[in-house]
Amino acid sequence: MYRRLAQVFWGLIFLVLCSPKPSLAFDLLWGTQGSYVHQMAHLAFGLAMVFLIYEIKRGELRGMPGFRSLVWACGLLAWWNFDAIVGHALDWSLTNPIIMGHGVHRRLLMENWHTWGVYFTKITHFLLLPPAFYFFYRSLRRFSRGSESKAS
Amino acid sequence: MITLPLYPLGIIEYTGGVVVIILTFMAWRYSRRLMTEDPENALWLFLNWLAIVFFVFSVSHLFSHFIQDIIRFGSSSRLLVMIRRVLGGVDSVVYVAIATITLFFHSIRRLYQRMEQDHHHLEETSHEILALNREMEALVMERTMSEMALGIAHGIRNPLHVIGGFSHRLLKKTDQNDPTRAWLKAIAEEAKRIEDMVERFETLAQRKSSFFAPEDLNEIVRDTLELIKPEIRAKNLFLIAEICPDPLMGRLNTHLLKVALAHLLRNAVEATQPRGTILVQTRQEQQFAVLMIQDTGKGMSADVVDKVFVPFYTTKIGGTGLGMVFVRQIVDEHRGVINLDSKVGRGTTVTIRLPLRFAEAPGVSEPEMPETPSEPQASPSG
Repeated sequence: MYRRLAQVFWGLIFLVLCSPKPSLAFDLLWGTQGSYVHQMAHLAFGLAMVFLIYEIKRGELRGMPGFRSLVWACGLLAWWNFDAIVGHALDWSLTNPIIMGHGVHRRLLMENWHTWGVYFTKITHFLLLPPAFYFFYRSLRRFSRGSESKAS
Repeated sequence: MITLPLYPLGIIEYTGGVVVIILTFMAWRYSRRLMTEDPENALWLFLNWLAIVFFVFSVSHLFSHFIQDIIRFGSSSRLLVMIRRVLGGVDSVVYVAIATITLFFHSIRRLYQRMEQDHHHLEETSHEILALNREMEALVMERTMSEMALGIAHGIRNPLHVIGGFSHRLLKKTDQNDPTRAWLKAIAEEAKRIEDMVERFETLAQRKSSFFAPEDLNEIVRDTLELIKPEIRAKNLFLIAEICPDPLMGRLNTHLLKVALAHLLRNAVEATQPRGTILVQTRQEQQFAVLMIQDTGKGMSADVVDKVFVPFYTTKIGGTGLGMVFVRQIVDEHRGVINLDSKVGRGTTVTIRLPLRFAEAPGVSEPEMPETPSEPQASPSG
């Protein structure tokens, strides 16, 4: 199953990177009602993660196995959300970025801090998620093992 | 001017996206397992919902970025734009769903902590009950053996008195030259030997009482009151202790009586409203030590009073329904009697009567000594 998923994944990457038409600019989304809703949804998600950390700390559950990893997951997800808010704001307000080359050789001209900001928030947007969800997975694994040992 | 390649963004985006889908799927499987093991656990329910919504998020997020990339770098059709908008909306809804489920954790945490506390309380109570049960079993066994030993000794002693007494009489009446005299002498001597053995056995049986020892009931009451006083003060109750001025010495088990007394006092504290009164009284009535605990609490209806000593019957949330059962068993093992008198709105009075001379005589529950044959007893040993 995982091999098939990997095949589909790399196939999609190949399609996206190798057969595009030249594009000169990103779409501008900032200013629409949906963009505000999306940003607020990120804010709610981020604040909820902070709230979860606060509740775990308040309930003195942090020392318990499972909750420690959950706190890490929440911390990273909160960071991811605040990073996404900044990233979306920069991305949607970037007008006419200069992209040179075609296919996999496309390069973004770093003409100002705005472009740098977009580039790095795009990297962090997907870099933060795997460790966050790894901690979430680890948290559930610990809970499950703890439950099994209690039952036996 | 610096230019940076865009392909690392794509690699990170899709590798990260797939890894996240796999991780959330595996996390969901663990949460599902937890739910299957204990479907009523609030924490597992919360984590299961969170895992489901995270899985939905991971799929919709990756798919939404994929569509965006196609539109940006590939072909941009109306359909794709519409799909992007729909997926953007789904993403926003999923974020709000995550936030909503997370806010629910506030209640879950309280439930979880309450559940853990109840669990610990139940474990502690189970251990206490188990320990008490073992102690009671040992006590019952010892006192049964002791009573049996005393009963057997008593049963042997009476015929021995008869044999010994009559053999001595016959010996006195028999001529010095009679050949049966030696036989009678042997019977009298052997009867005396068995009698001495029975006496020693009886003394040992009476002394062997690691569970019951001569104790003053007043001291037991005073010690228990000291233990419960902080709880009485914390609830702002008045305590009146009327302790008998003379010691109420009996063969008692201090530990078990303290357990029983503490349970009755805690019941009184729980039932009584602040500024109410708890009266603890000890007195002597003939051969009995009487202990009375009276409260001005909410009292119990006749139906409840009838069921108080029924195992597992309880009116308390989280109660085991075994407390009063143990109290009665403890009183029973002291060969005492417990009475409960209660009126709704007026309070409850618990009266315990313990025989002061218990276990000193073979007929433990009978204060009078049983009758022995008059003639042989007059001269058991000559």
